[in-house]
Amino acid sequence: MQATPVQQDASRRYKSPRPDRKQLTRAGVIAVLLLFVLFGLPQLLSLYYIDTMTQVAVYSMVALGLGVLVGRVGLVSLGQVAVLAIGAWVAARLLFATTQPYPLVLLEAGLITMVLGVIIGLPALRLRGLYLALITLMLAGAITVVLATVNFPNGGHGFLGYNGSLVNIPPIRRPSIAASDPAYFRYSVVVAILMFALVLAHIKTRPGRAWAAIRQSEPAALAAGINTWLYKLWAFALASFITGVAGGVLAGAVHYLYSIGFPTQDSITLLAVVLMGGAYSMWGAVVAALLYQFLPALLNNWGVSADWLTILFGVGVLQVLTTAPAGLADQVPRDLARLGRFLRSRIRKAAPAPGGDAA
Amino acid sequence: MPSWQDFQPFIVSGLALGGVYALSGVGLIVLYRATGVLNLAFGALGAMGALITWSLIKAGVPDWLSWLACVVFAGAVTLGYGIIFGPALAKRDPLVKAVATIGLTLILYGLADLLWTTSGGQARSITFPTDNSGFMVGQVQVNWTQVIALAAGVVITVATGAFLRYTKLGTAMRAMANDRDITATLGVPVRKVEAAAWLGCGVLAGLAGLLLADLVALDATTLTFLVISSLAAVLIARLRSITITFIAAIVIGLLHDLLTPITALTNYRDMTPFVLAAVALLVLSRHQVMSQSREEA
Repeated sequence: MQATPVQQDASRRYKSPRPDRKQLTRAGVIAVLLLFVLFGLPQLLSLYYIDTMTQVAVYSMVALGLGVLVGRVGLVSLGQVAVLAIGAWVAARLLFATTQPYPLVLLEAGLITMVLGVIIGLPALRLRGLYLALITLMLAGAITVVLATVNFPNGGHGFLGYNGSLVNIPPIRRPSIAASDPAYFRYSVVVAILMFALVLAHIKTRPGRAWAAIRQSEPAALAAGINTWLYKLWAFALASFITGVAGGVLAGAVHYLYSIGFPTQDSITLLAVVLMGGAYSMWGAVVAALLYQFLPALLNNWGVSADWLTILFGVGVLQVLTTAPAGLADQVPRDLARLGRFLRSRIRKAAPAPGGDAA
Repeated sequence: MPSWQDFQPFIVSGLALGGVYALSGVGLIVLYRATGVLNLAFGALGAMGALITWSLIKAGVPDWLSWLACVVFAGAVTLGYGIIFGPALAKRDPLVKAVATIGLTLILYGLADLLWTTSGGQARSITFPTDNSGFMVGQVQVNWTQVIALAAGVVITVATGAFLRYTKLGTAMRAMANDRDITATLGVPVRKVEAAAWLGCGVLAGLAGLLLADLVALDATTLTFLVISSLAAVLIARLRSITITFIAAIVIGLLHDLLTPITALTNYRDMTPFVLAAVALLVLSRHQVMSQSREEA
């Protein structure tokens, strides 16, 4: 079989392992940024903001999972906060019941959440588009009601592990190497990095290409021989796993979990911020988490009502959907570049080169 | 197991709740069929309208004028949203259109929470003069508000059905539900028909908000997200039939309230709409055909 020019081009690019300068710079910037977040940030921030940033790390994972579903595969889920609650519940139960090392508990919480997500997602995936979004909202509503009744484990006995009394509740433990707040922040960032790497590994390989095909057109993907059912379920499983792990990190971060902290409507707000941050890029997940957790903390510190933020999110959703489908993570750099070009052209106009016409 | 006596009062309250769900469901379906927009801001519109009514009554405005204000507010805001964002999103996927109304929901919810603070605030309520007068059916007290709620559900369902069937505007809406482009080609003023659907949806949102504020609670969060329960009836009808919506709404309302006296299930009664909708959706989507058309599922 003769290779087409496109294939030749692709194979040539594949064979040259030397990354170009642009890629190297980008990797360097990310490395510096991560080192700063891990070692610089905890030194600079007060305890209040360190706790906030731990939440940002947790929710960047949740946003990442939703971003995979929405941005990569085109499945909209309105139930991710309920999935997060399941992950947190499982992790809390395991942490109270066993003395396993924390990373193992996180892995188990992720896997159990994944299994539950797949069981729930299996029938739901027969639906598409608006109907899928709405059934996830319905299931999230149902999960929230169940959680409100069974409560989160707080060191009690039995399968549910709920101790009815409200005094002497033991806190959910943290890993011994990350007992303090700054250390736990670093720990959660490392977990988040691992999750981002996991998603990156998926996007760069076969599942990522299959997802891209499904996002463009499901019938076309099916016609091209892609097992759309398998890859959609795979995306659901991956998102549930990541969200479950995030739930495990959240359990240790807050020490005490209450079902009132996971209302159904938060899933709706989460979708709004993920769309605002940008569902198509992984930076979008970080932006979304900052919008969702850091901004409220900042406003709270300034004494501004969080309601303004809710209004801002509403405006943001409308703005993103009507003018900027790729979200802030795409729009801001693009607009900055445009502004830069504009400013440069103005400067050039203001000081015309000798011999050049200023018209 | 509780006796029949224990269930009786909940039949009445369940029917009233079902009536309001039916009213909401019809408003949601009419808009969806005409414009392809599932208005998730339905609850938020009613919530803010009801809060405006509460403030007006407190300021001494006559009751009927305050009630009217709620309906007018919800209608005007919905119409405004429809005129501004309807055409801009007309060609997009139904999912995108629905998510855009989440934007409106968040704006209204944020405003309502900002202007009528919940934390530390006094409990608000709207009462109708019909709350205290009623009659007995057997041994059950029925108040006129509950009768109005159920009657509103029935009347709106029947009236909307007749409107869609027999009027010119209704026929145009049904045509748009089938195909917007062909309808436009046939000379139907598409934008005007859509505007009428938006207005109708908004007015029903205001009515539902007022009734729910009296029957359930006057609280921005509760009312805003009660739309999720109303959605269940619409989903069971697959966003199509207003008759099925009505029946589903009544069943959901009844079942929800009838679970109250059963001790083992009372905590789970709020799951009723979600479970029914999820099961119905899954059963109804058994035989699905994948197609390239815009109308999915």
